[in-house]
Amino acid sequence: MKKHFVSIWFPYLTTDWLSIRRPALRQVPFVFAAPIHGRMLITAVNPLAKTQGVSTGMVVADAKAFVPGLEVFNDRPQLAIKLLKAIGFWCIRYTPIVALDGMDGLILDSSGCTHLWGGESTYLNMLKVRLKENGYHVQLALANTIGAAWAMARFTKESLILENDKQRKVLLTLPPAALRLEADTVRRLHKLGLKTIGSFMGMPQSVLRRRFGEELSLRLRQAFGQEEEFISPLKPLVPYEERLPCLEPICTATGIETALQRLLETLCKRLNGEGKGLREAVLTSHRVDGKILRISICTSKASAHIPHLFKLFALQIPKIEPELGIELFVLEALKVEKADSDQETLWAGTARLENKELSELLDRLTGKTGNCTICRYLPDEHYWPERATRQASFIGEQPNTVWPNDKPRPTRLLATPEPIEVTAPIPDYPPMVFRYKGAVHPVKKADGPERIEREWWIDAGEHRDYYAVEDDQGRRYWLFRSGHYEDGHPQRWYIHGFFA
Amino acid sequence: MSYSELQVTSNFSFLRGASHPEELVEQAAKWGYTAIALTDRNSFAGLVRAHVAAKKQGIRFIPACRLDLMDGPSLLAYPTDREAYGRLSTLLTTGNLRAEKGLCHLYKTDVYTYSQGIKFIVVPPDKLTDTFQLDPTFVRHVEEYREAFGQELYLGATRTYQGDDAKMLFRLEQLGRRLTVPMVALGDVHYHDPSRRELQDILTCIREKCTIHTAGFRLHPNAERYLKPIDEMRRLFRQYPEAIRYTEEIAAACHFSLDNLQYVYPEELTSEGRTPQEELVQLTWKGAEEKLGEDDLKKFSQNIADELAFIERKNYASYFLTVHDYVRFAREKGILCQGRGSAANSVVCYCLGITSVSPAKTKLLFARFMSDARDEPPDIDVDFEHERREEVIQYIYEKYGRERAAIVATVTQERTKGALRDVGKAMGLSMDALARLSNTIGSHWDDLLDVKRFAEQGFNPQDPHFRKILELAEQLKGFPRQLGQHTGGFVITQGKLHELCPIMNARMEDRTCLEWNKDDLEALGFLKVDVLGLGMLTCLRKAFDLVKQHYHKELSLGNIPQDDTEVYEMISHADTLGVFQIESRAQMSMLPRLRPKDFYDLVIEVAIVRPGPIQGDMVHPYLRRRNEEEPVDYPSEEIEGILERTLGVPLFQEQAMEIAIVAAGFTPAEADELRRSMATFKAKGEVSRFRKKMVDGMVAKGYTEDFASRVFRQLEGFGSYGFPESHAASFALLVYDSCWLKCHYPEVFAAALLNSQPMGFYQPAQIIIDARKHGVTVLPADINHSQWDYTLEAQPGERCALRLGFRQIKGLGEEDMHLLVQARGSGYTSIISLVDVGISLTAMEKLADADAFCSLGFDRRQALWEVSALADRPIALFEGQPSASLREEQIALPLMPHGEQVLQDYAATSLSLKAHPVSFLREKLNLLHVVPTGQLSTLKNGMFVKVCGLITVRQRPATSKGVLFITIEDETGFANLVVWQDLFDRYRREILQSKLLLVEGQLQIEGEVIHVVVKRCFNLNGLLRGLAATGEEDRVNDIFYKGRNFK
Repeated sequence: MKKHFVSIWFPYLTTDWLSIRRPALRQVPFVFAAPIHGRMLITAVNPLAKTQGVSTGMVVADAKAFVPGLEVFNDRPQLAIKLLKAIGFWCIRYTPIVALDGMDGLILDSSGCTHLWGGESTYLNMLKVRLKENGYHVQLALANTIGAAWAMARFTKESLILENDKQRKVLLTLPPAALRLEADTVRRLHKLGLKTIGSFMGMPQSVLRRRFGEELSLRLRQAFGQEEEFISPLKPLVPYEERLPCLEPICTATGIETALQRLLETLCKRLNGEGKGLREAVLTSHRVDGKILRISICTSKASAHIPHLFKLFALQIPKIEPELGIELFVLEALKVEKADSDQETLWAGTARLENKELSELLDRLTGKTGNCTICRYLPDEHYWPERATRQASFIGEQPNTVWPNDKPRPTRLLATPEPIEVTAPIPDYPPMVFRYKGAVHPVKKADGPERIEREWWIDAGEHRDYYAVEDDQGRRYWLFRSGHYEDGHPQRWYIHGFFA
Repeated sequence: MSYSELQVTSNFSFLRGASHPEELVEQAAKWGYTAIALTDRNSFAGLVRAHVAAKKQGIRFIPACRLDLMDGPSLLAYPTDREAYGRLSTLLTTGNLRAEKGLCHLYKTDVYTYSQGIKFIVVPPDKLTDTFQLDPTFVRHVEEYREAFGQELYLGATRTYQGDDAKMLFRLEQLGRRLTVPMVALGDVHYHDPSRRELQDILTCIREKCTIHTAGFRLHPNAERYLKPIDEMRRLFRQYPEAIRYTEEIAAACHFSLDNLQYVYPEELTSEGRTPQEELVQLTWKGAEEKLGEDDLKKFSQNIADELAFIERKNYASYFLTVHDYVRFAREKGILCQGRGSAANSVVCYCLGITSVSPAKTKLLFARFMSDARDEPPDIDVDFEHERREEVIQYIYEKYGRERAAIVATVTQERTKGALRDVGKAMGLSMDALARLSNTIGSHWDDLLDVKRFAEQGFNPQDPHFRKILELAEQLKGFPRQLGQHTGGFVITQGKLHELCPIMNARMEDRTCLEWNKDDLEALGFLKVDVLGLGMLTCLRKAFDLVKQHYHKELSLGNIPQDDTEVYEMISHADTLGVFQIESRAQMSMLPRLRPKDFYDLVIEVAIVRPGPIQGDMVHPYLRRRNEEEPVDYPSEEIEGILERTLGVPLFQEQAMEIAIVAAGFTPAEADELRRSMATFKAKGEVSRFRKKMVDGMVAKGYTEDFASRVFRQLEGFGSYGFPESHAASFALLVYDSCWLKCHYPEVFAAALLNSQPMGFYQPAQIIIDARKHGVTVLPADINHSQWDYTLEAQPGERCALRLGFRQIKGLGEEDMHLLVQARGSGYTSIISLVDVGISLTAMEKLADADAFCSLGFDRRQALWEVSALADRPIALFEGQPSASLREEQIALPLMPHGEQVLQDYAATSLSLKAHPVSFLREKLNLLHVVPTGQLSTLKNGMFVKVCGLITVRQRPATSKGVLFITIEDETGFANLVVWQDLFDRYRREILQSKLLLVEGQLQIEGEVIHVVVKRCFNLNGLLRGLAATGEEDRVNDIFYKGRNFK
């Protein structure tokens, strides 16, 4: 079978992507830019910006000088590859062998595929139309070699030549850059006046190799089909999903449990193999009458531990109403994270955060009572008491600061301070007596004030003067006065917490 | 009971204090303090400012500092007398010189060495331990300090509202009682007003390199570090009234003031036991006999005597001797130098050799610049060749020693752009947003915060977060950021300098500088001498050397023939590209109108094209009077005396000030204060007060209000861009000398200028074009003929030819090329022989690109072809064997078209000797009816024309109200374009992006001055691309110069 390849070039890959997401940008010149050596350099431009003279490699400030309306977005270094991969996977419907080509193109091995779409030219057209429909600018070409297809996609208007002779002729008229050479080599060829491939094609190999190294002759041979070129095809991503079709509809809880068990076994086997664990999973039951039922679980620590996961699901199995029966179970891991494989411990662990039993217990409690009833708090670097702690997002999260213990803080902090009535000498002395929830507390001992100012970049308002006070029963409270004492204004006092 | 604040951190503790010393002192005065100290961290840098402010406010200032030690708790140090102050300054110097610039490493033992006469306060710790005790290490240190300082030690106590204040004070008092160290109240002031807390937080973020959102506990929890009213301090320490009383005790003990510092000149300036005055008299008369002819000596002897008498009255002899000393050194070493400044035009300076041109020539008399009435320190700036100034600096260090000579500091201040950037960063803006923010004041053409531009950059000016950034940036603006070194100001003393002011290391090796800047020194009455660098002197020296080498004539600054009509003729035709000062666009368009005929005309020319006279609208009246289109009259006789030499129009700073004194009744001191207040932009209110005083004063004396406000306006302009007559005169000397060289030795001048690059307004390409216009033969760079520098080569005929130097070829290293020249011998015969010498292949490729192998018979393509094969040449065992490339068949490379040759020349050397790029486009331009610039003078005023050329300079002077001047160049010459502000906005893209610009506009011809007032602009870069080969078009943008932008 004769080989042929399609080269697809996306001249505006990343900017097209942004225009698709934000159609308003189609009318605006915009660029991506990244800081390089302390200067913002343009890494990608959209067509409109290009027509106004902006090009990649320019300094943003320069470009803005003459295109004042230029919008600048932060460059996302991985975006191009991610997009290419996604488009590549999409292309798999046209051929099984798709490969990434640099940062802005794809190579499709179209050999033996084109007849399915009614020949090379309709095949090419179809690809082009579909990609354009999606909003991408593309230039593509089909040729006998990868090199030729690449060159034609970028440097000619023709997009389909299969006869070797004609292809050769076209290639000879193209500039050296069409050979996928290093910029330095291309520049040197130009300086020497060798401005088309034809101008040096006829020179002896040894002469070229001495001056331009192996690269040039390799690229020449590849383009003209004298040397085969290999590509590494993309592999499709397999989602973490397991299916279990049932011969007989399942109606019993035991049946569901068995199905769940089997699904978990295959899924967890794969997860374990990849060194991963799941944080969220959903079990979908397709009923005979067409209804779909879902139950889901989440864990506080990535897990591929079958009994644990099973237990979590089991808590919810009663929610599934099989009615006439279930014909298909699908188990899907929605969130998968890297998990450290458990090593057998020699000594039973104490109740530490890494302890699996503890996190499994928490998961079970959460499963029973609903989310967010059990939280773990970590210190956060804020003076303002309400912001001095934050919720941990998962059980093992490490605090990024130590708990400050140099200032007295109550064991129990009220979420919102509650107003109290106070008798206190002015301007900043501790209260002598205060009334909270109807009860009067004469203050026997007091310490303070500790003056905490608002974080002005977050909110505005008055500072607080905190006092730790002890009443006649020996109970200790954390009180504060809001703002300075001012003549004519009643002082506003609050209780904010209780010491043990 | 009174209270004195003894712990004050100003913004001279960089990125800690959030108020200027002046603000702190003013606030203290407002609260009724009788004394305040300044305790910046290991630094005296803010002392003088606080001292001056305190004097003004009428409160007592205690110079002090906070010693942050490497091995113990910080100490606040208060010198009680002059000797103690010297010791403290020496202590800081010790720490400074030990560490790199900006740091100060001090240890306890250092403090013990210099502690005599100093009172110390231990800075208390931030918090108590878990058991509410003082940290035992702190206690141990206090015991040790007590041992060392005895009764001079105090224990500081601060109330910062941290919650445990009461416990802390109790513990400190307990400790103090145990060790008999009295506890003293401190405010730990970081800002004068609580509202500055936000800025202080931002400073913390900048210092810690974090954002306000991540700063956490690095910030202070509250805003209590402000300067509190005395009553409040008394209330806070009501349980320890003694602590308040001790502040008074310390304040009373410190009776040292910066006013006590006495500046003494070095002694070694005099010889044989003479006094400085005797020495000066002797040197002057000796010089006078040598330098002045017998006639002149007679003529000037009275002047000299007068000047010497004046110097004696003012006690300035030492100052003149200092300058004389290092000028003499420079002369001995053959370094060109020239003095300028108010005192430099005296006969004494001429006799001492500080200036080279006889005062007889300049008719400038000393008395005009210095008088008993004006109490201004003498000012002599000496310019040296910029490449050899360092030698003079090192001479000064060597002669007086590093203990006695140091460079003055400059305080680097936060500018609008930097402040905005720093605040933005601390407030958590992204890199991208920061870049956009900088763009709002991005180009150096706009300085002010412009709301419109913020919106353009996608910021919402109404957004509170953004407004906060602007507000804080505004506060941060003008804050000192670091101490740099002044360009050349020196202080030299008799005693040890470090007892006057701490000395620190400068960033540059072998430099040490003071912590005070020139304003500080002036406030204390220290005299500094300026050792400055000037590029034109380097250029002139190189030119003199070349003249000597090739034409065997000894030229120097003093012996260039004066009053050469040929030179003035050249100047009158604005043929001044590359010369000193009068080469700018504005100057060039003034020259044909002014048509200078003698030296004093040059002085006027230099001074008139300045913001002062332009803003004061002095230029046109002067021109009209000079061209006798308007009668020369004077408002009064007293003014005639002042304005006679400038035809009744005030052009110089001194004239405006003299008018203020004579006509508006200002005292000389007031006139001087007026000038200063304008220079610093500080006191906006002051200016209008002076304005009223001046205009009223003059009207009262019978002058018209119009004249009065015109003089005032001019004074305003002078304030910021002052150009006194003496400076203008000194510059005019160099203007004349450089013009003389350009006129008589154009090839020498061009070579010297090119070898001193970068310098001045013009690119090498323009200098070369100009030289060729003057008949100079210019030869291309070649491996067998060029040196690193431009050189002159003898050729048949009178004149030498100019040979391009390797320095012109982009990407070549100087070392590499010296190697090439050294090993050249009788010349290279093959390309391989260069490689054998050790020239790298990259360098060879650059040489090939520059077409420098012509003497071997290779054009640039062949050369490159050969060079690229060299990587493969036989080495080691096979060295010396013929290379394989010799045996390979000859390959015919395509011939390079002429246009591309020129393009490649530009790519490699930024210029081409073969042709001007525009010449290849002339046919196409003719189709567009574009007029060559050379033909503009043959057209009529007011015609509409199209011109096209490469942009060489874009200039937008501050005084032009947004008008942009562009110079374009084609193969026939230059054209000067004028672009109005609104047109610039419309054609911004074309103007900034074009390399080749086509404009349509109206011709304005005024004598020899031709302008094109632009109406439309077109970017013709596309045509240039046509010159390049296919595939290379994109490079064209990089090949041609961007056009230099000037303000």
